Amino acid sequence: MTAIDHTPTIAPAPRRVLNVMRLHVANPFPTLALPWLITAAIFAVNLAIWLMIANAAGGVDNLESDAFQYNGGISWIVFFMTVVAVQAMNLTFRFALGFSVTRRVYYVGTALYFVALSLLYSLGITVLAAIERATDGWGLGAAFFAPWGLSSEPLLLVWFLYLMAMLLFFFLGAAVATVWVRWGAYGLYAFFIGLAFLVVGGAWLVTATDSWGDVGAFFATTPLAQIAAWTLPVTLLCGLLGYVFLRKATPQG
Amino acid sequence: MTAIVEVEDLTKRFGRVTAVDHATFSLEEGGIHGLLGRNGAGKTTLMGLLTGQEFATSGEARIFGEGPVENARALRRVCFIKESQVYPDDFQGKHVLRAAPWFFDNWDQQFAERLVDVFKVPLDRKMKKLSRGQRSAIGVIVGLASRAELTFLDEPYAGLDAVARHRFYDVLLEDYTAHPRTVVLSTHLIDEAADLLQRVVVIDEGRIVIDADADELRGSATTLVGKASAVDSFAAGRTVVDRTTLGGIASVTVAGLSSDDRRAAASAGLEATAVSLQELIVSRTGGTDTDDQERGAA
Repeated sequence: MTAIDHTPTIAPAPRRVLNVMRLHVANPFPTLALPWLITAAIFAVNLAIWLMIANAAGGVDNLESDAFQYNGGISWIVFFMTVVAVQAMNLTFRFALGFSVTRRVYYVGTALYFVALSLLYSLGITVLAAIERATDGWGLGAAFFAPWGLSSEPLLLVWFLYLMAMLLFFFLGAAVATVWVRWGAYGLYAFFIGLAFLVVGGAWLVTATDSWGDVGAFFATTPLAQIAAWTLPVTLLCGLLGYVFLRKATPQG
Repeated sequence: MTAIVEVEDLTKRFGRVTAVDHATFSLEEGGIHGLLGRNGAGKTTLMGLLTGQEFATSGEARIFGEGPVENARALRRVCFIKESQVYPDDFQGKHVLRAAPWFFDNWDQQFAERLVDVFKVPLDRKMKKLSRGQRSAIGVIVGLASRAELTFLDEPYAGLDAVARHRFYDVLLEDYTAHPRTVVLSTHLIDEAADLLQRVVVIDEGRIVIDADADELRGSATTLVGKASAVDSFAAGRTVVDRTTLGGIASVTVAGLSSDDRRAAASAGLEATAVSLQELIVSRTGGTDTDDQERGAA
């Protein structure tokens, strides 16, 4: 019998977590390029529409000053983060498992990557909002990156709102992705039916207790930052659920 | 000697299908071992259980004396190359090879590059677009260059042609000699790999039907050919595994011949040949030697 001639060099767990993050960047397109491309496309379409209207009106000065201030285009990129998360986890999970990575290390690495992406995208959009502000709304008085009155809020708040929103949708994506990886399509049906029941049930509760007025008042009187911070418990719950779902997932799904 | 792989009364059910059925065996540290069986016999599931990818229904699987499930310390010393490995969308061969050293501590980059030359795999094409053989080759490169203490190669040469398969045997043996470790090879091309193997575990419909040293198995059965009458008188009272008659010529496969027996057979005018591992396994797993045995390619 021949002896095993090498002792294992111990790679500390943090390095493996970091390497899971690198795994997500090995092909950077879906997580680092695609969302910006989609943002750029939506922005370009909006810009074209503004120019068209401004042209037809014979100049921006003939329009009301807040004509281009209400625009939901940027919200798509926030929602899109759920898709990014699902895509990122769907195939890398089985690949990482095939490279002797534990589910725990994979999930921690992936969650950290999502946090990093949230920071990156919220910062990027805030920078664009700052440019938007400095150029007087791209010379058109338009608001794309900080619409709905956000253009007059401090940039720090704008950044915080985007960060909270991105985190929420990334981890919603993580929960959805792990349901998919573990239970496949039927798991997703059950998950979304369950989610629909929760939403409708919540609305039912609010209606039954006649508290829509209170709900409205909460959103009207609570500072934006506080409302945004209230997404954190939901984000954490999604993150936790994702781990619970993934812990027993197998490559077969 | 220490057991590097231990399986105890291990069962895995997928719904009503029992993929692994109360399996028990162990493998010693060091050596190339064969996990043999027909397609769908449970080889991949067994390897999945041993690497923590699958969860056992009952019983125990251990590597390095520990359970593999979520065991980062044990899994770090393992490389499992699965035939059905899924790669991330748009991943090319070069992405796979770039990621491998991040997770395999003993990764040898130069060796990996040499193997890329040996198998002539295109690294700049999407994994999805590669042929089965090319994907297998990338798996083989990762499996060998990772130099994991415990390497599981599941049908590593599915889709590879005979030339590539022989290159694989050559590099496996060469690298194993230079860097001894434990390799568990699953295959249904039994005779091709037979000379490499030390321990042979045969699984059939989830059950372990053979668990023996390869040498011991090779000597365990002999085929005798000669005149029907001489064959019959020799075979009387012995364990006959297989028997065919053609005209006046008969052939029997008998278990466990001593050297005295062999001399007796020779003097009775019988021609003796050792039964190949593959024939032996085919006869023991009850199947006929059929289409899923790609032996013609060898």
